[in-house]
Amino acid sequence: MSKIVVCRCEDVTLADLEHSVARGYHDIEEVKRYTGFGTGPCQGKECVAVVACALARLTGAAPATVPPFTSRPPLAPTPLRWFVRDPAAHRFADDRGDDADDGAAPATDEEA
Amino acid sequence: MRAFEGESVAAALFASGTRVLARSLKYHRPRTFFCMSGHCSGCLVRADGVPNLRACQIPCRPGLEIQGQNAYPSPDFDILGAVDFFFAGGMDHHTLMTGSRLLNKVANKVVRQLSGLGTLPGHDDAVAPEVRSIEVDVCVIGAGPAGLAAAAAAARAGAHVLCLDEQLRAGGSLLTDPRHGVAAADAAVRDVHDAGAGLIAGACAIAFYPEDAAGGVLAVAAPDGLLRVRARRWVWASGGYPVNLLFGDNDRPGVMAARGVGRLLVQHRVLAGGRICVVEDPGVAAYAGALAAALHAAGAEVERVAADAVERVRGRSWVKAVQLRTGKKIDCDLVAVAAVPSPASEGPRQHGCAVTLDPPRGGFRVVVDDDGHTTVADVLACGDVTGHLGPDAAAAMGARVGAVAAAEACP
Repeated sequence: MSKIVVCRCEDVTLADLEHSVARGYHDIEEVKRYTGFGTGPCQGKECVAVVACALARLTGAAPATVPPFTSRPPLAPTPLRWFVRDPAAHRFADDRGDDADDGAAPATDEEA
Repeated sequence: MRAFEGESVAAALFASGTRVLARSLKYHRPRTFFCMSGHCSGCLVRADGVPNLRACQIPCRPGLEIQGQNAYPSPDFDILGAVDFFFAGGMDHHTLMTGSRLLNKVANKVVRQLSGLGTLPGHDDAVAPEVRSIEVDVCVIGAGPAGLAAAAAAARAGAHVLCLDEQLRAGGSLLTDPRHGVAAADAAVRDVHDAGAGLIAGACAIAFYPEDAAGGVLAVAAPDGLLRVRARRWVWASGGYPVNLLFGDNDRPGVMAARGVGRLLVQHRVLAGGRICVVEDPGVAAYAGALAAALHAAGAEVERVAADAVERVRGRSWVKAVQLRTGKKIDCDLVAVAAVPSPASEGPRQHGCAVTLDPPRGGFRVVVDDDGHTTVADVLACGDVTGHLGPDAAAAMGARVGAVAAAEACP
């Protein structure tokens, strides 16, 4: 028995999509949460259009009415250290507009 | 292993005969090269103790240690591959072993041991990247035919331009297309330099933060550190992703994106198979035809079949044949899937641009007007990210949109 894979990162098959729709999960965000498609290392690059087209066929929806799921950072697999910063070295005071609060205000998440 | 300088680990592994690299998350099906452009999860390896790195995005260097992952004892023979046989019809993890509370607890413990990809890094890498801020008139994201043309046109119009490309080598789809190739990509890159634009390869836009002050900031993982880019005008030229078509066992090793096969042939001079079956969507017949001819000229036997004629592929650890709905079997040692590339619109979506699902043009394309304006005032887009165009039309659009972006950024 062969499998038709729509999302190779998470091993989600076309049969899984059909099962999801049959259980009442039609919306692409619901299907994402139910099957896990689009949640692997490629974050939907390979599958989101394929799944959206399949959902349009399975539910009879017009393609233009099917939205993608929300795109969130990072856009590509990224080591966590790219999101870490050394607060002593990089305060980004220029981005805050003014740094009058620096030192006086309690530490925020940004500075922690 | 021998490799060329600057060559990707994936190309070097393929050329030296390595085939299966890892196993999949749930069914432990064999996984390996597919897109050769960093957009799938096929070629994840452990490199120098760091898990889950894309082999196609790692440049070869002396002494680099590469291991397969997610398999025991090895990716070629993995005992957990049995899961695939036991759940031949699929597995719904929501209802699996939920009948008894005790059984469910045990099942959870087992599954948590088995799930996940790779194992933790072998060493700490606590060094935070250098951070630099850059401000330009026009920032072009992507250096394929559209992005290179846009960057050159914007710079010639007098704008201060930065063009970013995530691949190890700039050129995008030109490097996967025998009608264009390395010489055409290098000429387009030279033109960008001659026009006075900045171009950084190996620089991946990892996020756009619109809430950041003064029009938002693009975070870019560049070879020498993190860039925080601000621009008066943004031009998304991120192209399209190679995707798969739907037929039985379409995830088998040896089923590769046609663009992956094209990149191996055109950029790396590696012929990926001896008997190649090209499975094609009619929307990309011109590319499929050009690739088939080039593969044949390089010495392979090539057969082209329409995607909707294919029932399934045969073979387990590597593809052996394509079986058609008619029952006919085409023996082969490689399947090149030519599907319409899916517009790489995640970045524009983070930027707030409207997209629409347009199946004949590959997926969620960015909505643009004739000048490349998206639905966000300072953001333009060109090339395949606006719906599949192909390299020539993408370059023409890029030149037009680059000039518009420059005129608006430097009135």
